[in-house]
Amino acid sequence: MKAVIAAVSMMLLGTTPTWAALGKPVSSVAEDQKRLGGEVRTLSTTSGFAVHEISAADGTVVREYVSPAGEVFAVSWRGATRPNLVDLLGDHYPAFRDAPRPAGHRHGPLVLRTDHLVVEMGGHMRDFHGRAYLPDRLPASVSAEAVR
Amino acid sequence: MNAPSRPLVIETRRVSRIALSAALLLAPACGGGAGSPTAAGAPVVDNVQPVHVDLGPAGDYVNGIFTSVTICVPGTSSCQTIDDVLVDSGSVGLRLLASVVTLPLAPNSDTGGHVIANCVSFADNTYEWGPMANASVKMAGEQAASVPIQLIGAPGLPEAPSDCSGGGTAADTVSSLGATGVLGIGVFRQDCGEACARPLRPPKIYYACGASDCEVTSVPVANQLQNPVWLFTQDNNGFLLSLPAVPETGARSVAGSLVFGIGTESNNALGSAVVYTTDDVGNISTTFNGTTVNGYLDSGTNTLSFLDASSIPLPACVDPDSDFSCPPSTAGFTAVNQGSNGVSGPVAFDVANAETLFDTNNAAFNDLGGPDTGDFAWGLPFFFGRKTFVGIEGQGSPGGPGPYWAY
Repeated sequence: MKAVIAAVSMMLLGTTPTWAALGKPVSSVAEDQKRLGGEVRTLSTTSGFAVHEISAADGTVVREYVSPAGEVFAVSWRGATRPNLVDLLGDHYPAFRDAPRPAGHRHGPLVLRTDHLVVEMGGHMRDFHGRAYLPDRLPASVSAEAVR
Repeated sequence: MNAPSRPLVIETRRVSRIALSAALLLAPACGGGAGSPTAAGAPVVDNVQPVHVDLGPAGDYVNGIFTSVTICVPGTSSCQTIDDVLVDSGSVGLRLLASVVTLPLAPNSDTGGHVIANCVSFADNTYEWGPMANASVKMAGEQAASVPIQLIGAPGLPEAPSDCSGGGTAADTVSSLGATGVLGIGVFRQDCGEACARPLRPPKIYYACGASDCEVTSVPVANQLQNPVWLFTQDNNGFLLSLPAVPETGARSVAGSLVFGIGTESNNALGSAVVYTTDDVGNISTTFNGTTVNGYLDSGTNTLSFLDASSIPLPACVDPDSDFSCPPSTAGFTAVNQGSNGVSGPVAFDVANAETLFDTNNAAFNDLGGPDTGDFAWGLPFFFGRKTFVGIEGQGSPGGPGPYWAY
């Protein structure tokens, strides 16, 4: 990340165990935390958005990027496994699932870039990572580079 | 893969049974822990395993590198040689499609009688789900007596838990995997290691399965998927992958070799190769265009995937090939790798227009690029025209202990 993250308050949140997801309101972050069984740190930023970082007990770290309007406009993850994308991409999962993919076989990083959804996944065993964001929902003056 | 691949041209399953002599199977059990190069006076065995880069058994693989692996029921002469297994320096563990394995291998269970299953999800969002089983593993003249492997898609297990499938696509057939299995021979001894052995909240990689469902479980390190190379009786500290150079428009097929051991025999000396040690998850650092990111060498990735900042003229190809780079003309670059040992050195490489490359119908390319996903993947293009050494963690060698890469 560009060093825009200033400081931080530790928040322990907890509500019903469903998954918050891309495009959902900020209140859903607490639900992700419950599901992942970890802790949430809310990282305030100087760039017009907030980052909620969920450190799951199994070591996976998921970040959810929330706009001033309270919408999760991006998610990212890093860990020994990739998180459940059906849950994390939410209503946008079908667009990811149904997007055209290259013919033939390839094994390596996955890059899907459309006008409304970008998904990038990479890494290797023991260190997988990825990010997904909604290009047309990025807050003003926030670039995709901020999502890491 | 999310989309159907091209129709199979010819699905070749050159799977054959072979009978090994009893003498071979009486080789001493693998020692493992010593981690030293072959002792003086140890018998010299054939340590050269042929590999090939071509379109693979599904006929549609670009930059796929394959070899043959012989597996046996441990302690017996019942063996089977399986061709067209993908050689992957970016993962650990031998995973074979259950549909090509005809040997009667018993699934491994925990003390409660639950079948132990493994789930791996790769960067391309495919996943492989199936039970663990032990087999002896033989390549060239090297043998490991009893190795935990995975049988992908074996019947009898509950379906993959949602945390495993997780929105991915099963790679459990020759047509969906593009290979008959994956030979994971990266820099580590196990796929997961200590993290999956801890009793509380291990990563979601191993599952204990009853008749109808599976729960995440911890598995002792010795029972996890193993890098077969470190369990070889000798030449077990690593290997080198040697591939010839290819023209800039690629080659239809390429033959190379895996040479087991580092500095253990006359054909596997490090020579002038420089050692880059990795961190505890298998990364070095790579600096390109003024930015430093994690880097890794991965024969199982078919591209050089790296930073595509707006200052670099490397647009992604149009859908559905957005995993690849399509510069208007071939572009040359240099990046600098640095190991955890502080050693650094430049690597020069080219990226050509992927669509132009695909139009050749070739299979082996040293200049196939892909867009950035946050780190620098030195995929198979890196390995052409080089000898690349993979030093396994905890194993001594003339280059010091692994984990490292050297080239």
